[in-house]
Amino acid sequence: MSNFYVHFPVISVMGLFLAAFLVEIFGNKNKHVRYAISLIACLGAAAMTFYLIVPVFFRGEVISYWMGGWKPEGGYAFGIGYEIDGLGLFFGLLTALTFLMSVLFSRRYMERDGHLGHYYTLFLMLAGSVLGLVFTGDVFNLFIMIEIMTFASVALTAFRHGKHPEALEGAFKYLVLGSIGSSLFLLGVALLYLTTHTLNMAQIAALISSKGMQPTTLLAFGTMLAGLAVKSFVVPFHTPAADAYATAPASVSTLFSGMVNKAGIYGIIRLTYILFRTMDKESLMLLLSILGALTMFVGVTMALAQHDFKRLLAFHSISQIGYVLMAVGLGTNLGLYGGLFHAMNHTLFKGLLFLTAGAVYYATGTTNLDKLGGLAKRMPRTTACFLVGAFAISGIPPFNGFASKWIIYQAAYEKANLSGNFIYVIITVTALLVSVMTLASFIKVTGAVFFGQAPATLEKTKEVPFGMQLPMFIMSALCIACGLFYNQTIVYVVNPAVNAVTNPAKYVDTMMGEGYAFANGIGPQPTTFTSVSIWDPVFWLLLFVIVTCAVTLVAVSGARERGPVSLPEKTDSKHATFFGCEESLHSHVGGSDLFWGFKKDLKGYFKVMGNLHSGKTNDYALWVVIGVTLITLFTFVFLS
Amino acid sequence: MPDILARLLDVLVVALHVLIFPGLLFAAVGGLLLAGIDRKVLAHMQRRIGPPIVQPFYDFFKLMGKETIIPAAARPGIYKAAPIIGLVSLSLMMLFFPIFGHSAAFGGTADLIVILYLLTIPAVALIIGGSASGSPFAGVGISREMVVMLGYELPLVMVLLAVAKKVGGSALVFSLQGISDWQLTNGCLLFQWSMIPAALAFLLIIPAEVGTQPFDVAEAETEICEGPLIEYSGAPLAIFKLNTAIKMFVMTALFSVLFLGDINLGQYWLLGGLVLFVISAVLTILCMTFIHAFTARLKIEHLFKFYWTVVAGLALVSLVLVWFGL
Amino acid sequence: MILINYIVAICLIALGLYVMCAKRELIKIVIGMGIMDYGINMLIVSIGFHENGTAPIYTLSDIINGNLSFFVDPIPQALTLTSIVIGACVDAMALSLVIMLKRRYKTTDADEIRRLNG
Repeated sequence: MSNFYVHFPVISVMGLFLAAFLVEIFGNKNKHVRYAISLIACLGAAAMTFYLIVPVFFRGEVISYWMGGWKPEGGYAFGIGYEIDGLGLFFGLLTALTFLMSVLFSRRYMERDGHLGHYYTLFLMLAGSVLGLVFTGDVFNLFIMIEIMTFASVALTAFRHGKHPEALEGAFKYLVLGSIGSSLFLLGVALLYLTTHTLNMAQIAALISSKGMQPTTLLAFGTMLAGLAVKSFVVPFHTPAADAYATAPASVSTLFSGMVNKAGIYGIIRLTYILFRTMDKESLMLLLSILGALTMFVGVTMALAQHDFKRLLAFHSISQIGYVLMAVGLGTNLGLYGGLFHAMNHTLFKGLLFLTAGAVYYATGTTNLDKLGGLAKRMPRTTACFLVGAFAISGIPPFNGFASKWIIYQAAYEKANLSGNFIYVIITVTALLVSVMTLASFIKVTGAVFFGQAPATLEKTKEVPFGMQLPMFIMSALCIACGLFYNQTIVYVVNPAVNAVTNPAKYVDTMMGEGYAFANGIGPQPTTFTSVSIWDPVFWLLLFVIVTCAVTLVAVSGARERGPVSLPEKTDSKHATFFGCEESLHSHVGGSDLFWGFKKDLKGYFKVMGNLHSGKTNDYALWVVIGVTLITLFTFVFLS
Repeated sequence: MPDILARLLDVLVVALHVLIFPGLLFAAVGGLLLAGIDRKVLAHMQRRIGPPIVQPFYDFFKLMGKETIIPAAARPGIYKAAPIIGLVSLSLMMLFFPIFGHSAAFGGTADLIVILYLLTIPAVALIIGGSASGSPFAGVGISREMVVMLGYELPLVMVLLAVAKKVGGSALVFSLQGISDWQLTNGCLLFQWSMIPAALAFLLIIPAEVGTQPFDVAEAETEICEGPLIEYSGAPLAIFKLNTAIKMFVMTALFSVLFLGDINLGQYWLLGGLVLFVISAVLTILCMTFIHAFTARLKIEHLFKFYWTVVAGLALVSLVLVWFGL
Repeated sequence: MILINYIVAICLIALGLYVMCAKRELIKIVIGMGIMDYGINMLIVSIGFHENGTAPIYTLSDIINGNLSFFVDPIPQALTLTSIVIGACVDAMALSLVIMLKRRYKTTDADEIRRLNG
């Protein structure tokens, strides 16, 4: 039983699916039973996934598992294989962490809703499908998992349709546009089968490498790439994401941004780097980087125009995925490090932000920025967690967002330097600018939700229960830890994933037998992480603490000469806020009124974008069709 | 045992650097002096006598001695911590400048980007502190501060990228130490004609970053009563005022490092500090006092347009020129 | 004739996409999704088809006697079956959403179901 862990991936996926049905059978009446089943399934799956760190990350193994023991015969893979390399496990860990946090959060967050049995069923289906998606080694199984994922996501989006009928609308759009994406992926799978006569990813990689790219293969690549781009909500396919994230319950939005769009990114990386190995083509790099830059810019500018907390977060989620895609699309090692690290950080801080949005909704019953305000005094812990998330996503040092964005900027600018292409300079400038806009947008949320005057309706708001605080605290701690110890995080977590991406030979060999990869022209290309800098966040934190202590010390020691500090008392009017001649009731600066100088100068742009995001299903479908056609044509014309 | 002693000594040296030179104390004294010079020269331009040069010191200590009134709507912790965080990040930034021979601990390979982000922290501190106070004037001030930041950040990014490319050539250089070393052998960047637009753009960014007239829309005393600072009093207000003064020094010092080059005078590091200060004073008078003397405050939308067209255009010219090897 | 299969499949996919982009009635959009699925299913079946191929079923005597003839690839048919099932589920889900939307929005016109915009 030395390698008993080879069964872990399949057990964790199947366990989640099994638990989904158990919840439906046993848990519809008793809330303790259904929550216990869900929690045990999630904990078990997460524990097994985390255990795989030891063999895969530390010992560098690639785990393979053939369903029913149907191993390849005569050089052809027949059965469905599960295969976990560094890349798959990296995304598997993100998935496990996300659903674990979300299930912890759900217990109290969802307590006021009915039909919770269905909720947990769908929740576990979603968790299992994404885990299966990143663990599978079979293209058609990947498609099945994508479909289950879409199905569960759509149903979960519509879960709160009783209170919010918009949820139905969001779900319908998601379903229509998502089905275009998955149909395209299926089309690609069919075309791929036509040329390679296999569905096993390792064998496909080897066969494409030995046969070269034929027109059919190219077409398959184009449609699969477009399908996965739809699934990862890249502009112009981002519209369902904004609607679905905004209307789904916050615990589900956490799942969406933490694992569902990561699944799309995972697919793109697997497709371009390992399956088709097309990332050596300059034109594909350009396509992915431009798509990424466009995504981050459109996402962040749309976020600036939002009035709803969760819709704003949704657009930020889109924007951050743009960073990941751009970095991964650069095709350099540094870009891969930055992109994967940012994907991980995005899971952490965006999950955290969605959880805080959920906490705000739980406590106040709304997420409308214009109706919120002054929650900092009433919900201090949620505010602290939100600030951590906001600083992390805006890339303020020493939080984790800074470390990964910093690598991404360097990677982009270095790519510009290497290729001599001015477009990459523009992309770098865009990336830096988008970061500032992200900061601006979160300042807006901070001002509109947590600071400022509390409306009369929110006077009695209370902090959320501990069950909801716990996942927020864990995520905050991870955000800070990954920022402070970013070098260690890269070496121990990101490095194995990057090695797996740049080294597909081992992936192929484990599945198809030793020497198969080499025979088909995939040689080993070892990569090592060259430390990007000497900037040491721990050192900086130390300095920061020293200086802060010194300043505080000086301030305290000079207290005798210094004026007294008078703490706020309700009775003394000198503590009242100065309003001029306005009534305090009418003078709260609402979230949507910020940035009017900026919005006025760019009103042409905002008007066009507002019109484009018309909300009509047909328009969005048209965007998707145009985008998909362009991507397919581009790959067909420029990659051959 | 000697090992631990050496360690301790190292820590002590670093702490001295952080707290005294070129960190907190040097920056504070320099910044306040710069503010005094600014006021004096401005007064003379307007045919006034003006306050003594050390007036900002008097103001600072006077404010420190005043009562600190925490508004009822604010959270005391954030209200008091915000100015200190701004101060700390500004004085840490001084450590990046190669004016003393001990820069190895601070000069990473990519500290231009670190600087870019450290520069945003004081503004964020001001915004968080201001919005903690809950006044609508602060709300307006914050939104303006944010838009100003969006405005100057685009040209600033382009200037920094242009410098990195110009200095690095085929291998990009992001470290300030590297940039000043390059200028030792190749002469000042300011005298490379392709960098002149970038230098101009940077000079125009300084007053917006510091928030002096005509770019003081965020604090605009006469219309929104100092915006984010409206509810501040006593020691926290004093520290915010100090932050503005230090920012003056940091920005001008950054210009001199980026475009004029090395000021590392080896063992005469104290003299190096003096040279840096003189350059900063000249730059302050050039790009802040002069413009202040003959302009009126801009509207926020005009300011934003100005930075995204004129200043960003200048920076872009440099970036393109540098990119094509000029 | 296999070519006609491919042409019909591509035409069906294009028709489905066209319906989704151009028709404002939600039911028609769902029908469009269905048509697209059928196109793709047809394509997959055609990929596995060989002219004059037999069913991929052999008895032991066939193998012993070497009576193996040219047969149709079974995997695409398995894929098609799965894909049909999934397609039916998706359509059912979409139709149930349409029913709910009709109840809450009092319309099935896509132009009027746009509260989430901008």
